[in-house]
Amino acid sequence: MSAMTPPELILQVQNLDVRFRVDRKSEPFAAVKGISFDIPTNTTVALVGESGSGKSVSAMAILGLLPENALVSREGRILYGGRDLLKASMYELQDIRGKDISVIFQEPMTSLNPVFPVGEQIAEVLRLHMNMDGRQARARVIELLNEVGIPNPQLRVNSYPHEMSGGQQQRVMIAMAIACEPKLLIADEPTTALDVTIQKQILDLIASLQLKHRMSVLFITHDLGVVGDIADTVVVMQSGEIKEQGPVKAIFEAPQHPYTKALLACRPRLDRRPKRLPVIDDFMKGDGHVHLEERKRGTTPSDPIILEVKGLNKTFYLKEGLFGKRAVPAVKDVSFTLPKGKTLGLVGESGSGKTTVGLTLMRLHDATSGEVLFEGRDLLSLSEKQMMAYRRRIQIIFQNPYASLNPRMTVGQILVEPMKIHSIGKDEGERVGMAFQLLRRVGLSEQSFYKYPHEFSGGQRQRIAIARCLTMKPDVLICDESVSALDVSVQAQVLNLLQDLQDEYGLSYIFISHDLAVVKYISDKVMVMNEGVIVEMADSDEIYRHPREEYTRKLLSSIPKGYELAAQPS
Amino acid sequence: MSAVLTNPALPPVRESPGLWSLAWRRLRQDAVGMVSLVVVAIFIAMMAGSYFGLIAKDWNKEKGVSYANPSFLAGSENLEARSMGAKDAAAKAPPVDLSDVDPLAPRYKEWEERAAKIAVTETKRSEVLPFGGDKWGRDVLQKAIKGSEVSIFVGLSAALLATLIGTMLGAAAGYWGGWANDLLEWVYNVFTSIPYILLILAFAAVAATSGKFGKGILPIVLILSLTGWTGIYRLMRAEYIKHSNREYVKAAQAIGASNWSRMFGHILPNVSHVSLVQLSQHVVGFIKAEVILSFLGFGVPVDMVSWGTMLAEAQNELVIGKWWQLFAAGASMAILVTAFSLLTDSLRDALDPKLK
Amino acid sequence: MTAYVIRRLWQMIPTIAGVILLIFFLFNWVGGDPAQVLAGKISNPEQIANIRKQLGVDQPYWYQLWVFVQQVFTFDFGRSWSTNEEVSRILLTRVGPTLTIMIPVLIIETSLAVLFAIMVAYVRGSLTDRGIMITCTVAMSVSFLVYIIVFQWLFGFILGWFPVQGWSESFWKNLTTYAPLPIMLAVFVGLAPQLRLYRSFFLDEINQDYVRTARAKGLSEKKVMLKHVLRNALIPILTNIGISLPGIFVGSFLLEVFFSIPGLGREIITAVNRSDFPVIKAVTVYLAVITMIINLLVDVMYKYVDPRVSFK
Repeated sequence: MSAMTPPELILQVQNLDVRFRVDRKSEPFAAVKGISFDIPTNTTVALVGESGSGKSVSAMAILGLLPENALVSREGRILYGGRDLLKASMYELQDIRGKDISVIFQEPMTSLNPVFPVGEQIAEVLRLHMNMDGRQARARVIELLNEVGIPNPQLRVNSYPHEMSGGQQQRVMIAMAIACEPKLLIADEPTTALDVTIQKQILDLIASLQLKHRMSVLFITHDLGVVGDIADTVVVMQSGEIKEQGPVKAIFEAPQHPYTKALLACRPRLDRRPKRLPVIDDFMKGDGHVHLEERKRGTTPSDPIILEVKGLNKTFYLKEGLFGKRAVPAVKDVSFTLPKGKTLGLVGESGSGKTTVGLTLMRLHDATSGEVLFEGRDLLSLSEKQMMAYRRRIQIIFQNPYASLNPRMTVGQILVEPMKIHSIGKDEGERVGMAFQLLRRVGLSEQSFYKYPHEFSGGQRQRIAIARCLTMKPDVLICDESVSALDVSVQAQVLNLLQDLQDEYGLSYIFISHDLAVVKYISDKVMVMNEGVIVEMADSDEIYRHPREEYTRKLLSSIPKGYELAAQPS
Repeated sequence: MSAVLTNPALPPVRESPGLWSLAWRRLRQDAVGMVSLVVVAIFIAMMAGSYFGLIAKDWNKEKGVSYANPSFLAGSENLEARSMGAKDAAAKAPPVDLSDVDPLAPRYKEWEERAAKIAVTETKRSEVLPFGGDKWGRDVLQKAIKGSEVSIFVGLSAALLATLIGTMLGAAAGYWGGWANDLLEWVYNVFTSIPYILLILAFAAVAATSGKFGKGILPIVLILSLTGWTGIYRLMRAEYIKHSNREYVKAAQAIGASNWSRMFGHILPNVSHVSLVQLSQHVVGFIKAEVILSFLGFGVPVDMVSWGTMLAEAQNELVIGKWWQLFAAGASMAILVTAFSLLTDSLRDALDPKLK
Repeated sequence: MTAYVIRRLWQMIPTIAGVILLIFFLFNWVGGDPAQVLAGKISNPEQIANIRKQLGVDQPYWYQLWVFVQQVFTFDFGRSWSTNEEVSRILLTRVGPTLTIMIPVLIIETSLAVLFAIMVAYVRGSLTDRGIMITCTVAMSVSFLVYIIVFQWLFGFILGWFPVQGWSESFWKNLTTYAPLPIMLAVFVGLAPQLRLYRSFFLDEINQDYVRTARAKGLSEKKVMLKHVLRNALIPILTNIGISLPGIFVGSFLLEVFFSIPGLGREIITAVNRSDFPVIKAVTVYLAVITMIINLLVDVMYKYVDPRVSFK
């Protein structure tokens, strides 16, 4: 086969195989197992997959940016401009990098060098590849900053990365990447770390640059909604293999592979609310039928109230000046009620104060003022000892499944500890028995009792965290971004579990998240927060159909609409 | 919920490895680490043997002639020994015959006969010792072994004490914050604003004159640990601050675990590996410090031997060509410290928290 | 920035007070009866009481503390108990020789360590890297004493390249004749631990995301190391230098003892041997103050090294 790439293709990946050396004894871990795909000119190709699918590894392999313990098979080829990049010398690669093919990464804060001004970092690539001198480079840098939408470029040229917001840092990265007019831009999850409103701006920027410079974009993401908005071609990966690839219309309207179908279906949608979210297994093992029955959600004034929050305030104090303190109000005068057996969704971007509300309710932060009424008693006014009796009634599930379980305790110890503290169960035997039961209830094997957290995946750890809460039979469960760190398919499983538990035990939830689609799916009532205040509060259907406030509308419009998602009734 | 409970005591199908067993497994694969471990174990066995008097018991006995040659240099010249021997002989013979003016003269013969009846063991001094002899004819090899006992003991106990102090204080400062943190930071600042060696010497000066630090090797152990806790404090405080903000600790708070339980039941098992590596590093540092202090005379008391005192003697021996005491002390110390250092490195790699 | 400096100076006060208290506690309280020590074998109670009166240790503790504080602020610690020289004079004259040795050591050792560390970091993971690291470990396990004894014997006695001991009045003669051997010794011994430390700094930086970005821009590995990594690694390196700066005043007391250099380190050893409390107390308090000032200067300089640092 000739190494010449047909003119309408810019890059061809053929049989790429990448393994990672873990240690001297074990088998290398196979991250990418012989995949092939093409990138046409002037096209956006989306490389989609969940964590561990091998999408980032494949993209990094193109420019040889893999870590030192990577083993790339010599059988594979990556054809660009008449050369196989996998066999190219370091000089050849360095010549292409930044000039013909460039990259932007997921975390702009750490991807920029903290000690050099951003202007200098962009100029570096101009001086290196375009042979510009200092003055020319500086002029071009200001042009570029303007093009990527940074206000006051003449001033910003001298700014340091930490002086800019996440969105601006990513724009700088983009400026650096397009400076030499590359033919291919590799974007590795560029918006994942950004707020949803900023995400939209960056996506629009990339799309407009792609059109203007007629370059190709390889866009790596786990978010199918984003893909629908911007991609021309889609490549779906799972566990190092390509499951399906094709034009975006075909993928979204007529997905062939069960995995693709599952991925498309298990995301909560804005226009429907099935009783149970479909999960991967439904498609891979089942017949692919989706639950059609919808669930009604909403609140009525006659619902019994289990928790009432009045005028909650939380202000943080930071040291400033010679002896002074600066007040940073995180939560300003928040009031709401939680009906029994229902879910209150709390939505906002980072810095909105939503997490602080949750932590303050639990008294993990000390509130500055306000009341939290539970069964008639103000929880914030209780002493620590009195609070102990109520601790088991309100519990919390944190966001990071990798940090919320003590790495040195076995699952069994984690589950039994709260029972011991609250004197649940009359002896060790009974407690262990209850732990087994709960493990089964959340869908884990009894053997999990003896294992350590690191032996479990993110979704499984969240189940353990849920089981830990259930040991105390709480009335209220606060879910603080509990599914945000999980893959879409796993997220669906955990959401289904949470819903089952609410149906069975009559639990009341406060569901905190930045993901509007998920919140709409699971909540009866929704509260939108911005900069510490409640902007709008209404039943979930109502708020999505008729948002009243400006900010709410802005949030809703930032949700990637995606292509017309398939899940057709069959 | 079903009321039927399965047998609670289900045995694990396979042992689930915790941090320490995983670390041990990794250490076993590390050749350098295992060799160092064996060497350190040998030294500790030697230390125990020497402590209980099984070996090197009579290091203090002047068994050999002055500057006895090591056994591998048996035949070479030993001018010093000869001159000492000549001096001894000269001392035995009476200088001058005073029998006519000496009032005791007639009784000498009688006394000699009586003395001869009492058995006195006059040990013949040997010409050659396994690794040579020092100025007084003491066995260098035995001194080196005994010296290792002292150095290891001092190093270990001082490191243990310093780690204990540093960890306790660091945990208090990191977990509680507030005024406890302010107070401890003040203490830390005071101690660290004085250069380390100066602080040790200041403590040593006071220990020497006052005698309030105890006797024997207790003073030097106290000096080293009371000045050496600061590094561990800094590290443990940072670790406690980091972990106190982690979600698993907040989760423990949410379920109602007490402060004590959170500090020592939850956080401590997660930071103990840091403590262990620090302990190991400090053993090395303290052994080296003890040697220098003993060399200067501020370490072990005069009736004990340390590698430091051996080196103090060796200082002047090199010019007259007697190198074995320098070599014995220097080499045995080098071997132990190298082994311990390599062991520390391997330990750190084995306990690598990337496990999570 | 002035607000920051003022705040730091303000915060130094409790620390200095703490140092004074600590030294006082150690020497005046725990330190035992110096009169006994100085009187030596003549334990005539009258003489002891007399000495006590002279030293002022017969006064109540709070009075002694007051005297001590006064001494600190007037730079007058009285006279050495053994040589009767004025303590302040002792300190000033001894600093010169110590710095003559230690400043060249600091400069040479740091430059060499950074140079070698970059080179070793460049070839990280290779056999060369591992070999050098093991060599460093072994080199660090031999006591400084052994090095001094052997070097002195080898270079001074056997080869005769340098004088075995000594010091002179002339600065230049010191620098060219008497100082080289001790300097060489100090650099040789100090290089191994510094190399290991700096290497770890470089390796920490190499694993950062911004290095991957630099590579993605097409920079050569050499440029990445020398421009991006080095500039960032300078931050911990300068911190490290800042921490070791106060130590150069004490110098390497072992070197001074072995080579008969009349420096501050040897002075302290002598003072400890003779229980000469005034000298030890003075040195300790002043060095503590110098350390705090150096720390402040280093922190202020930080702003130019690490742009993320801001003074509040």
